Amino acid sequence: MSRDAGHLPNLGGTESGGPPARLPRQRRGTTPQMRGRYPDYDVLEQVPHWDEATRRVVLDRVERLPSFRFFDEREVATLGAFCDLVMAQDAEPRIPVLAMVDEKLSEGRAEGYRYADMPPDPQTWREVARMLDAATVEQGAGSFGDAEPETQLRIVARFAEGELAWDGCPVEKAWKVAMRDILSAFYSHPWAWNEIGFGGPAYPRGFARLGPGQREHWESPPEFELDPVRDVSERGLE
Amino acid sequence: MKARLARGLKGAIRPAGNDSLLLLDPHHPSAPRPQAMRRYPDSEAVDMLIVGCGAGGATLAQRLARRGWRVVVLEAGPFWDPDRDWVSDEAGSHPLYWTEPRIIGGSDPVELGKTNSGRGVGGSMVHFAGFAPRFHPSDFEVASRDGVAADWPIAYEELCPHYERLEHELPVAGEHWPWGDPHAYPHSPHPIGGGARRIMKGAERCGIEMRVGPVAIANGSFGNRPHCIYRGLCLQGCKVGAKASPLVTHVPDALAHGVEVRAECMATTIEVDEGGRCTGVTYFHEGVEHFQPAEAVAVAGYSIETPRLLLHSRSSRFPNGLANGNDLVGRGVMVQGAPQVGGRFPEELRMYKAPPPEIASEQFYETDASRGFARGFSIQTVGPLPIGWAEHVLADGHWGQALREYMRDYNHWYVIGALNELLPIPEENRVTLAEEVDANGMPVARMDYSQCENDRANIAFGKERMREIVRAAGAQDVLEIDRYAHLVGGCPMSDSPETGVVDPDQRAWEVPNLFVADGSVMPTQGSANPALTIMALSARLAERLADKRIGQNHERRERMLT
Repeated sequence: MSRDAGHLPNLGGTESGGPPARLPRQRRGTTPQMRGRYPDYDVLEQVPHWDEATRRVVLDRVERLPSFRFFDEREVATLGAFCDLVMAQDAEPRIPVLAMVDEKLSEGRAEGYRYADMPPDPQTWREVARMLDAATVEQGAGSFGDAEPETQLRIVARFAEGELAWDGCPVEKAWKVAMRDILSAFYSHPWAWNEIGFGGPAYPRGFARLGPGQREHWESPPEFELDPVRDVSERGLE
Repeated sequence: MKARLARGLKGAIRPAGNDSLLLLDPHHPSAPRPQAMRRYPDSEAVDMLIVGCGAGGATLAQRLARRGWRVVVLEAGPFWDPDRDWVSDEAGSHPLYWTEPRIIGGSDPVELGKTNSGRGVGGSMVHFAGFAPRFHPSDFEVASRDGVAADWPIAYEELCPHYERLEHELPVAGEHWPWGDPHAYPHSPHPIGGGARRIMKGAERCGIEMRVGPVAIANGSFGNRPHCIYRGLCLQGCKVGAKASPLVTHVPDALAHGVEVRAECMATTIEVDEGGRCTGVTYFHEGVEHFQPAEAVAVAGYSIETPRLLLHSRSSRFPNGLANGNDLVGRGVMVQGAPQVGGRFPEELRMYKAPPPEIASEQFYETDASRGFARGFSIQTVGPLPIGWAEHVLADGHWGQALREYMRDYNHWYVIGALNELLPIPEENRVTLAEEVDANGMPVARMDYSQCENDRANIAFGKERMREIVRAAGAQDVLEIDRYAHLVGGCPMSDSPETGVVDPDQRAWEVPNLFVADGSVMPTQGSANPALTIMALSARLAERLADKRIGQNHERRERMLT
């Protein structure tokens, strides 16, 4: 489908705050917050076509919710709110980003590098929680998890710009380390693949239609023209 | 004549001197069957003990074994069974990377791991994209031509015959290549996706030529290796077995000629005798220390682990580390700049399909004085998967709703990247040992990296050209990311012991039976992906060793031109 790109943030498409207008509700399968650009696409319907090793790894993300072993209760409240905000997960269903990060850290899965002026990744995560809470206290609220959404947003924006004070450590590197783990968790989840129309694992089947605008028979088109309000009422979703 | 005949026959030609493609099990085409592997007792010295089973180590082992040498390869990572161990999944492919602790410093630190460091039999070629260009003749004389960096102590002509043979072994597919030393490829170009077609047209409008290839993926089935299925997960290990890595291109033939690949063996010290010759390697397997004696040792651990092993191999004769009498080990380590520019197009392009390496241009490879900096870059297609694309969006400054919206737009984007030749800066950019130790008690590596003004100008210019291409291709929106790609250098080859760690035969200047057989010997990095050149260097080294053309004494020699 051909269309303009006026919905994109650099072109003025997204106002801060809620999800963009005209974003369809998901009709098939699950997406985070049940919104997505591909309302009729569920990559999990293709599971029978995946190889066994891949199936095991990917389905595990959907079927098993890791319990918190690394973060304590307060860190979960603070960092859970932080993850929701940076991934704009403002409603259920949510991809359990922080639980996935917790599992990675508690299993000691590493990336292969540590900045010389940074602590090891697990400690960086704890420091991020402490820093967010400290910044919230500065604003006169109790803890980041309990703060008003506007306060949280303001603090995260300062974190993203590298403006939060953090005991002399480079805060922009902390942002990179945390966001790397968050993005890796979120976009490894098949619900996110549904939202963005990613074809997912294609072994042993492969892809045959590589040309512009072409799709495999099991892929579906993006939906840009739908009026989500009318669509929801027409289908009796709410 | 032979070359012309080979071009006419295309994929029908089988490589000489390497039967790997026929030794793979046709029912598990990507697994090389290590069960029948020969074993050597650690009570007797083997002819050559190689540390590392990647592009450099595996090629050296296969070539030497063909010439009757008894060879053992120590590999820190596993002996992969792609069917069982690899997944068609971005996050699930982490075990392919070197994720042991390493420390990065400097003003422009290089994140190590998934983009540049492999672990396991096959090395980082297991997860390389597949681009397999040659270096240009100009790469070997950068100091003479451009007044920067260093000349290689060997010329392009020394590697050329090995490039040609290896291009048949991998095999490499692509259009006739007009840049550097113009040459053809044994396999015809792969079909390209919608994004690459867009970019090709955009480049043409800017007066920039791009061509299909050169990609180390068989076009059509190749012996027992199946054809590519365009599933797009080249960087996650090719489960299909269509993309080249030593695991399928050289290890099967090496095993058939008596090489033992000892997987999950982490080398910690190269031992030396009182006469200054090395005697073998101490290594850890499942937490237990072993020693394998050898007549000669070749280190092939790449630009971080090779310097680390040499620096850690201290003795009374070599108190600062092996072959480090002139304090050159680890110095001048380099990384290629790899900024990427993504463009948004009206139609769906679904860049997760087809191998990420599709088309490339080497038009900006050499120095052009009018640009205001020395050396240049190449332009290649990238095709990131969702996590990679999310990092792209974040790097452009988006998070929250804006990030999600760009991600929902994934299928309308296509991404190209540059490979910038960044210069070696031996004073600042180096690999050293940190205080911190790993599970075996061995100090971890620290890599310090800072760019120079020439590097920044090169990267900025490359990004500008890519923005032009993407705009001319019709992009409605553009996103950028700064990143790095391949590592090289750290144990440079040189024509004098004062300027490098190894001689033109990749033999340590200070240790007559110690060789370095990986990308760390490269004095400069070009703007080409290094895999093919690392293999070609090892193929040349093996040939010279087996022909007994490497003497016992180091004399200063004239530049060697064949």
